[in-house]
Amino acid sequence: MKFKQAIAGLLLGLLGTLPATAQNYPARNIEVIVPTAAGGGTDLLTRSFVDHANKLLAKPMGVVNKPGGGGAVGLTDVARARPNGYKLAMGFVEITILPHLGIAPFKVDDFRPIARINAEPAAITVRADSSWQTLEDFVAAAKEKPNTIRVGSSGTGSIYHLAAVAFGKAAGAEFNNVPFEGANPAVTTLIGGHIEAVSVSPAEVSTYVEAGQLRLLGVMDKERSALFPEIPTMSELGYDVSVGTWRGLLAPKNTPDDVINTLREVSRKVAENPEFQAQMKRMNMTEAYLDAPEFAKAIAQDDQQFGDLISNINLVGN
Amino acid sequence: MQQLESLGAGIMTLGSHPMAILLAIVGVALGILVGATPGLSVAMGVAIALPFTFGMDPVSGILLICGIFFGGVYGGSITSILLRIPGTPASAAITIDGNEMARRGEGGIALSIAAISSYIGGTISVMVMVFLGPVIAGFALNFSAAETFALAVFGLSVIAGISAESPVKGIIAGILGLIVATVGLDPMAGMPRFTGGMSELYEVPLIPVMIGLFAMSEAFRAFENSKGSVKETAMQLGRLFPGMSLWRRLSTSILRSTGIGTIIGMVPGAGSDIAGFVAYNEARRFSKTPETFGKGEPAVIASCEASASACTGGALLTMLTLGIPGDAVTAIMLGALTLQGLQPGPLLFEHNSDLVFTLFAGMLLCYLAMVIMGLLCSRVVGRVVRVPRSILTPGIIALCTVGTYALNNSMFDVYLMLIAGGVGYFMQKWGFPASPVILALIMGPMAEANFRRALSMSGGSYDFLYTRPITVVLLLLALFTIVMPFLLSLKRKLTSAKAGSVATNT
Repeated sequence: MKFKQAIAGLLLGLLGTLPATAQNYPARNIEVIVPTAAGGGTDLLTRSFVDHANKLLAKPMGVVNKPGGGGAVGLTDVARARPNGYKLAMGFVEITILPHLGIAPFKVDDFRPIARINAEPAAITVRADSSWQTLEDFVAAAKEKPNTIRVGSSGTGSIYHLAAVAFGKAAGAEFNNVPFEGANPAVTTLIGGHIEAVSVSPAEVSTYVEAGQLRLLGVMDKERSALFPEIPTMSELGYDVSVGTWRGLLAPKNTPDDVINTLREVSRKVAENPEFQAQMKRMNMTEAYLDAPEFAKAIAQDDQQFGDLISNINLVGN
Repeated sequence: MQQLESLGAGIMTLGSHPMAILLAIVGVALGILVGATPGLSVAMGVAIALPFTFGMDPVSGILLICGIFFGGVYGGSITSILLRIPGTPASAAITIDGNEMARRGEGGIALSIAAISSYIGGTISVMVMVFLGPVIAGFALNFSAAETFALAVFGLSVIAGISAESPVKGIIAGILGLIVATVGLDPMAGMPRFTGGMSELYEVPLIPVMIGLFAMSEAFRAFENSKGSVKETAMQLGRLFPGMSLWRRLSTSILRSTGIGTIIGMVPGAGSDIAGFVAYNEARRFSKTPETFGKGEPAVIASCEASASACTGGALLTMLTLGIPGDAVTAIMLGALTLQGLQPGPLLFEHNSDLVFTLFAGMLLCYLAMVIMGLLCSRVVGRVVRVPRSILTPGIIALCTVGTYALNNSMFDVYLMLIAGGVGYFMQKWGFPASPVILALIMGPMAEANFRRALSMSGGSYDFLYTRPITVVLLLLALFTIVMPFLLSLKRKLTSAKAGSVATNT
């Protein structure tokens, strides 16, 4: 009996010496902060992701919405959280924009990337009854009368606003950028014929393009859109501009490697799950899985690009 | 009457979908619950239910969401009437009158007026969608920034009208609201204003302020009163059904408000909250006894509830026929439809006509379920008014705190709610109404953002103020609404002065 007790004691002792975050992670529920309101694209994607991830984790993930400040509130919460893997964020491209605008108390290196799940390029869309059949027509018109073509986007300093600015720079044209409360109101105004174009993603306009109300002119990506493979990319058309949004799992910096590796493994399995992929497709979302190292590179590139762009344009009082 | 045949066929199809019928009813019940809980918005309820519809067939999934939507708009009135806590921003308009009725022992009547008016408003708006949907849908597309700005100004103009006691104090409260509404991210330039570096203040905190001003302030006041009267008689629920004479009096209010609600629902970005307040103002404008408004007037509940529910049909109309969501809830529903492989928009009626009419039949069923449930539950939920104040008040405080916290999972919002409660207590003490603050918080940012957007779209020219017909009509209506109460009170003063002079002469 003594022998058994000794073994048990030894085992217990060994367990005690294990670091708290090692193989036994997750030992309790993981909070995934969504920095937008319930019901939006980021929220739906996270809920779907968490559903599938929970089948692979010892303790479940739970979604917590912390909207506000274009994502600043929820993202700040995660940036300042204890780096133990129990509070993560479904982050988006805004982590590389908000700090440059000076409205977020965090920096992009306050986060440690885990995996990118989804990405959408920006695109230029006009009304189907407009005279611009191609992007060349559109650029020519913009050059002829600078600042008259009204391009709707999802708000000043938002990814699609920066996309319109970046495209204008690459094409040497100036647009009248009109910010809206989101991509959808901008698209509605375009359909009503009150503005000339929008710079939102193909997914945001797909319904109306298919119904023959709107026309996509070009996608701001290096590769063609999976939704609209017949639409040319900007680089094909000779404009060096690649801007888009993404969504991916982030942890606070200094989160230990083994925790990150567990989450990377889970993310990869979820991203490869055909059921999850089908769900994304139905939500009109483009699957764009990247593992942590490549994801970090993509974030660094965005950070560089938007930092340059924002310091180049005068955003205040625009 | 091709639509009638299609609707008949839709009802038949729905009859063979017992699961869809069940889910529609479950949705309505959930919606009433969500609406009645302060802090849980209808949009949030719909968003939470959305993932559950992934695996359902389109009819069941969409009807579950419709049920939550419809039930939620009505459910907000229950806590407004019984506890003076607006369950949703739309029900803020009826909170004062509804609760005054409950205190008079007419809570039962108030609850059934709310349920039946919601039913009539909602059902008529769905019928409008069935018969006129594709014909009038294009109206929504006329709304650009200039028109939305004018609508917001019209919304703001009712402030004087909804402040029955003193229009001047109402306007002061409204301006206070407008000042608070400038806190947050600048809607056009995206820069923070008056936030003191707190990113929690980047967005106007409407719900915490609303719960604080209406409910928390009342709870504070109850503390004050409880010292004086130890033995307090609880309120009575009273009879449940109002007499026929009252219905006759309310019927024109209900029909007028249904029209207002359906139109406002169709406007992108304008929802049931605006519809409720505008309907209040119009009901008072056409009332023979405007002095009873704010003191427990049944017409307030009838018109606001009919209007808020009629909004649902209007919002669904533009969403289904044009693919344009009229408010936050239909924006989420747009996502739900896309997930089901349906593309809302001009082609939906051509490609999926059978399905669309089955959905319409289901929506009518949802409203039927709502009114039946609402009336059956009145007796049970109405018991809450018989709870003594000394027990009810702590319960209200707990409900306010939990509801506010649940909104964004943030303690910051709870502190804001408590501050608003303190401010509301003094406002009430000194006779300043709370509704104008809420209205200003909803309309102020809408007016500012759209005015500046319209200016940006016109290249800096102010022409949009008088060259666009809808804008002109709405701005004139706003002017008329602002001037009216003052003219009326002037007229009253003149006549009473005359009466006074006549009295002294004799």
